Amino acid sequence: MAQLSEFLTPADLHKISNLQILARLVVEGFCTGLHRSPHKGFSVEFKQHRQYVPGDEIRHLDWRIFGKTDRFYIREYEEETNLRATMLLDASGSMNYGNPQGRSKLVYAQRLAACLAYLMLGQQDSVGLVTFDTKVRRYIPPRAQTSHLKVLVNELEATKSGGETELADVFHDLVPRLHRRGLVIILSDCFGDVTKLLTALAHMRHARHEIVIFQIWDRTELEFDFRQWTRFDCLEVDGKKYLVDPNHLRAAYLENLEKFRAELKQGCHRHRIDLVPMITDQPYAEALAQYLTLRMRR
Amino acid sequence: MTFLNAALIAGMAAVAIPIIIHLFHRSKFKIVPWGAMHLLEAVLRKNTKRLKLEQLILLLIRCSIPVALALCMARPVLTGLSPLLENKKISTVIILDNSYSMEAGGPANSNFQKAREAAREIVDNLVPGSDVAIVQMAGGASTLLDDPTFDLDRVRGELGRIRSGYGASSVPEAFKVARAVQPRFNHLNREIVVLTDFQKVTWSESAGLPASERSRIAGQLAEGKTPPRLTFFHVGTEVTDNVSVEKIELNRQILGVGQQLRVRASLQNHGEGQYQDMRVVFRVDGKERSVSQASLGPREKGQVLFTHTFDTSGSHVIEVVAEADALIADNALMASIPVWDRLPVLLVSGDLNPEPLMGETDFVEIALHPYGVGKVELADLVTTRTVDAREMDAKMLAESRVALLANVSQLNEAQLKALEGFVREGGGLLVFPGNRINSAWYNTAFLAGGKGLLPLPVASLSGSTNSGTRASIVSQHYEHPALDMFNDPRNGNLAEADIRLWYKMREETGKPGESGITVLARLDTGDPFLVEKKFGEGRVIECAVPCDAEWTNLPARPFYLPLMQQLVTYLASKVYPPRNVDVGKPLVAFLPASDAGKKAILTDPEGKAREVAIQVKGTRALAEFDETRRPGLYVLDAPNNNRIHFVVNVDREESDLSQLPETDIQNVSKAMGASLVKTFAEYRALDQQRRFGQEIWQALLVAVIGLIFVEMILEQVFVRRKS
Repeated sequence: MAQLSEFLTPADLHKISNLQILARLVVEGFCTGLHRSPHKGFSVEFKQHRQYVPGDEIRHLDWRIFGKTDRFYIREYEEETNLRATMLLDASGSMNYGNPQGRSKLVYAQRLAACLAYLMLGQQDSVGLVTFDTKVRRYIPPRAQTSHLKVLVNELEATKSGGETELADVFHDLVPRLHRRGLVIILSDCFGDVTKLLTALAHMRHARHEIVIFQIWDRTELEFDFRQWTRFDCLEVDGKKYLVDPNHLRAAYLENLEKFRAELKQGCHRHRIDLVPMITDQPYAEALAQYLTLRMRR
Repeated sequence: MTFLNAALIAGMAAVAIPIIIHLFHRSKFKIVPWGAMHLLEAVLRKNTKRLKLEQLILLLIRCSIPVALALCMARPVLTGLSPLLENKKISTVIILDNSYSMEAGGPANSNFQKAREAAREIVDNLVPGSDVAIVQMAGGASTLLDDPTFDLDRVRGELGRIRSGYGASSVPEAFKVARAVQPRFNHLNREIVVLTDFQKVTWSESAGLPASERSRIAGQLAEGKTPPRLTFFHVGTEVTDNVSVEKIELNRQILGVGQQLRVRASLQNHGEGQYQDMRVVFRVDGKERSVSQASLGPREKGQVLFTHTFDTSGSHVIEVVAEADALIADNALMASIPVWDRLPVLLVSGDLNPEPLMGETDFVEIALHPYGVGKVELADLVTTRTVDAREMDAKMLAESRVALLANVSQLNEAQLKALEGFVREGGGLLVFPGNRINSAWYNTAFLAGGKGLLPLPVASLSGSTNSGTRASIVSQHYEHPALDMFNDPRNGNLAEADIRLWYKMREETGKPGESGITVLARLDTGDPFLVEKKFGEGRVIECAVPCDAEWTNLPARPFYLPLMQQLVTYLASKVYPPRNVDVGKPLVAFLPASDAGKKAILTDPEGKAREVAIQVKGTRALAEFDETRRPGLYVLDAPNNNRIHFVVNVDREESDLSQLPETDIQNVSKAMGASLVKTFAEYRALDQQRRFGQEIWQALLVAVIGLIFVEMILEQVFVRRKS
């Protein structure tokens, strides 16, 4: 089993704990507001039964049903927590990109997700996780138990990059599965057709989800500072490769990149989605700070 | 095109280097597993074609850099069509302007010194085995050596000896000589170099070298299988300050001992300088006799007058020297003056009369030696001897310089023969008719069908002693030197004389001048008054009236004396060949017959003495010398201490030192197809280019550097354009 410390270096954790103090003040205020909301209460209203999955708290097992059917079922309640956050982790091929020295974008996203989970669970929020590439690979519903962190961390660690992404399709598929409105945290590079992606995000927003996108970049993708002849092998489609002199392409590439980012930014702004670009050499703590700042603004 | 380092052409193989580098880069690529392929693909789709084109351009430039560098190092030479067969040995004509204008700039640093130095450098530049001819441009173009020579040391020696100071240069003549040398050359590669100061007098279109002449020379040079290349070498700088003694005018044609000679020297300032109180020195036989001062403003003319009386007979030299500028050649002008102790004239009378003034020749005798007749202590040049026509013989003639026939009826055969011999050898004859002449004899034996002594036949007597019909001499501008002084009215008016009777002379209806007969003056009736005929070396002047007062009142006129003196001295001066000649004209001296077969010594202006053979001609002996290209004083020492001076003069047009403007020089060069250089370095560069072709490595080096720059700039442009 993976140790939490694998994902969170002591320095990171130190920063986060410091942030936690600040965050807690902010979140508490926010939470207070939420507590007074009509969705008040704590696991009072039964909603449905659901099959037990490892990590579910045993105390939520419905022993009666176990007695009757000899199977483990969990009793689910409405408004178990004050925040339901679902992290969507993009495990597509493109997320596997990373400079040789540093970590890949996927690893960065995994660790960031772990940090967020730790932070949120520490605030008693429930956190879920969806990993996907071409389709949803794994869905862990949000839980608020502290022990849920281990489930999430295990799942995060097990996630490997896969094939070609089509974020839009995946998000459309996901919308019906995220029953209750909550916070959707997308950890992805958002590569693909911007228009389609925005449509999908709009769909999600229509389901009244709050959306925060942590767009993960590698610095080389933003700067394209390759000097010698380079063969670019596609991470998502096997056999697709281009041998070029990057010096002559740099300007055009950066222009195109800028256009892509601008489109995405505008689209997100239109749908009131928070877009947080993260570069893999940035500390996670910054991402968390960004997140909390955004949350505070709401 | 040839290459001086042909081996280095192999360096062009370096063209492979950029290609190899390109391929190497392509093969040594880095593999990057790339995620943001959708961003990259869009860029690739749009730019692939352009990228390929840009890379191709860069590759081509990079490939051409080593090629150009290799070519540059191989030192290519553009040879054009010049034959490589014999391109080292060359046949050269050096035309050297040695006119006296080239002496401008002072004796130590004259333009001529520079030209000579340049000529020497040109000779030094020649490859051994080249042949050279040197043409002197001035004083009648001529070659310095008889034939082109391979002996370059000899050429250098000759160049050291060549002198300037000659008269005007003539471009056409110089080229004529240069062309004449061409067939004697040995190499196919030929060249003509003209070293000159481009003086206006010689080269300008209006003076020495009209446009037609330029194209004619260029055309002639282009003829033939091996046309020579033409180079103009402009030597020296323009000097404008120059004063020259333009000419010397003398008041007498013939001068006797004790007679006063008036010398009028004309000076001209050719420059813009101001000459205040310039010393003008008059020298006689090398000794300073008199000094005068003259002031000349810019471009001004002036005159200085000197007088001198010679106390010894013989040949003398006078010289007028203006102490002015550094160009000495034209600061002085000399003249050789033969001073005679007497001029014996034989008066042959057809009517001797012992009574005063009744004889036929009495008036003439008085007119010719007035002081002698008047017993005045002044020198008469002319001495007369009056004889009866029947007594005249060859001996009397030999003792005289001029004979005068006055109303002589006729001569016997021996007398006629003697007279013909006398005139043929340079004697002068004056014929005056009268009432006694036998016109039949005159028109047959004396005239001899135009081949005799008499210029024109005497046809008939005109006018009358009684009636009022009078003729007079037409007053006009007299071209003839014998009458020249009457162009000045102070010397008398020939038209004042009344002529009652005169002989009509029958003129031939040929073109004037063709028969060798000149009419000096006419009567207002249209009949000739004075006619002249050249006969052998001498001259005959025939008058339409007698020399006494019977038919005319000529002897009573004031001009009678000068007229007679002029006619006699004119005829006498023609007895001797001129002592003051133009350059190129022969020097001739008549010597006593006893000297024939002996040698005379002639010393030229440079002090070089040479022997001149004295030849027999008729009854006289004669020394002749014709190498008079150099102006100055020539001294002939004949046997018996007989020294004769000759002065060879040049036209003073060379004194205007102004040169052609630069544009005109270029035009001349262009019109004549010549290259123009100013220094030996320029000449050598031109020669290298002609001989070996134009080296183009510099251009290639520039191309290499240029290509490197273009490559760098394009590289930057291609990379930056997208940012």
